[in-house]
Amino acid sequence: MRHLIKLELKKGKLFSYIGGSLLAYGILAGFLMLIYMVEGPSQEEEVFRDYGEMLLLIDTLVRATFIIYASALISRSIIGEFRDKTMALLFTYPVSRKKIIFAKLIIVFVWTFANIMIANALIGGLFLAVNSVTGYVDDTVTTTILLQHGAHVLTHGIAAAGMSLLPLAVGMRKKSGTATVISSIFIVMIVCSNNMGFSLSSIIAIPLSLGALGILLTYLSFRNIDRVDVV
Amino acid sequence: MTDVIRTRLLTKTFGRQDVVSNVTMKVRKGEIYGFLGPNGAGKSTLMKMLLGLVKPTGGEIELFGERQLPGAVEPLKRIGHMIEAPVFYEKLTAEQNLELHAEYMGYYRAGAAKEALDLVQLIGVENKPVKQFSLGMRQRLGIARAIMTRPELLLLDEPINGLDPEGIQEMRVLFRRLRDELGTTLLISSHLLAEVEQVADTVGILDRGRLLQEVSMESIRRSNTDYVEIKTSNAQQAALVLEEKLQIRHYKIMGSHMLRVYDADVTPEALSKGLVLNDVSVESIIRRHHSLEEYFLELTRGGGGHAAFDQAGA
Repeated sequence: MRHLIKLELKKGKLFSYIGGSLLAYGILAGFLMLIYMVEGPSQEEEVFRDYGEMLLLIDTLVRATFIIYASALISRSIIGEFRDKTMALLFTYPVSRKKIIFAKLIIVFVWTFANIMIANALIGGLFLAVNSVTGYVDDTVTTTILLQHGAHVLTHGIAAAGMSLLPLAVGMRKKSGTATVISSIFIVMIVCSNNMGFSLSSIIAIPLSLGALGILLTYLSFRNIDRVDVV
Repeated sequence: MTDVIRTRLLTKTFGRQDVVSNVTMKVRKGEIYGFLGPNGAGKSTLMKMLLGLVKPTGGEIELFGERQLPGAVEPLKRIGHMIEAPVFYEKLTAEQNLELHAEYMGYYRAGAAKEALDLVQLIGVENKPVKQFSLGMRQRLGIARAIMTRPELLLLDEPINGLDPEGIQEMRVLFRRLRDELGTTLLISSHLLAEVEQVADTVGILDRGRLLQEVSMESIRRSNTDYVEIKTSNAQQAALVLEEKLQIRHYKIMGSHMLRVYDADVTPEALSKGLVLNDVSVESIIRRHHSLEEYFLELTRGGGGHAAFDQAGA
């Protein structure tokens, strides 16, 4: 399995994945910095009341970004291979079809999860550092805040990685990359939207069950892969 | 084990149409088996079934003496293939594509990719991305990929598509080399008769999903398929002369102006003389070789045609 994952990465050119992620980090940080800098100095309407709120917004945006990023990954490495018929080529190798698909899914899942973790740590860290200089958000960093937020990021990260597989089930029906990406945007709109501080994500059961649903639907999509015709 | 491929009543139905219907065929180890049939005869589908890409609706497949079960991947290690237009990872170079192939096949031999590229005469382009390749180059690369792991069985679907005459000649030589030097078994499909005729040891003729005939080229060649074709203004009259005056029994009337004489020891000169002396006007007399082409056309047109061949074989 490790070998298969390595081959997948080689095929997809790992560097272009990393490049894409770095770009996403940069855009996220820039966008958040814009909000922070424009609204920060005007004290009448605070942009963030405390660190908890600031870190939550960072996490929400990071998750939204990487759920969509995952759909692009899926549409290239799975849907695209079906469409370009290279999947048929892969299926003529002496490797079980399920393993080939599984290797691809692991990459998507781990990649999404890892990026959410890393982006949260980097961008969160950056903002805490910047704020310690500018002091627009009037709060102090405590271990409690960090631990609480860490636990939040971890559980939501796992849920998001599961959810990132949901678009696959949609895209697989018609082997359409566009459908995959659009459904991921739809998912993000539902899950990550924020209405006066309330979002569906704040009830942790919702993202977790959506994540589980993503894994279940993916399993159902490929359960019969050994028995289908690949034309 | 002498048969590398054996199928029994193999059938594939798409919707309500039988694409492959009750095919029972045998491919012996170390031979080149030519799969001949018009476009849409089911050649590709049959090859895909051998590879497990298409699941049979009915019948059985045996590869290397073992019955194939759905999801079996072991025999795939021993098979090289190129089905339809070969697909590649377009952004990767030719060499990277081959290396990736070897990794998935679990085949490690230093220099294998280079060697395969040399064999198909793709030289100096190994570092070009495949998307820049022409149709002929892609075809060559597809063949290189199929042979690089030195498979025991090669499935090649229309391998000479898109190649220039020189390339076709090179591939023909390559296929024979693989058979003779490595003992590879090749199943090659084509809709071009002349091609199959030149390279195959055994020919399987497929039409509308059915295997019409499986015959060795040797027996086609041996079966005294030479004949003398007579063009005349009155075939009936000529036939009478042949039978009554010249005592020739093995002939066939091919219409009102043509006859074929299958007696091996009759020379065109003798025929010409005999006919003219008996007042039959002769337009031309030519000795012909009964080619695979005619054999094939007779079979696929169905009906009637068998007689000529049977007669010739008698």
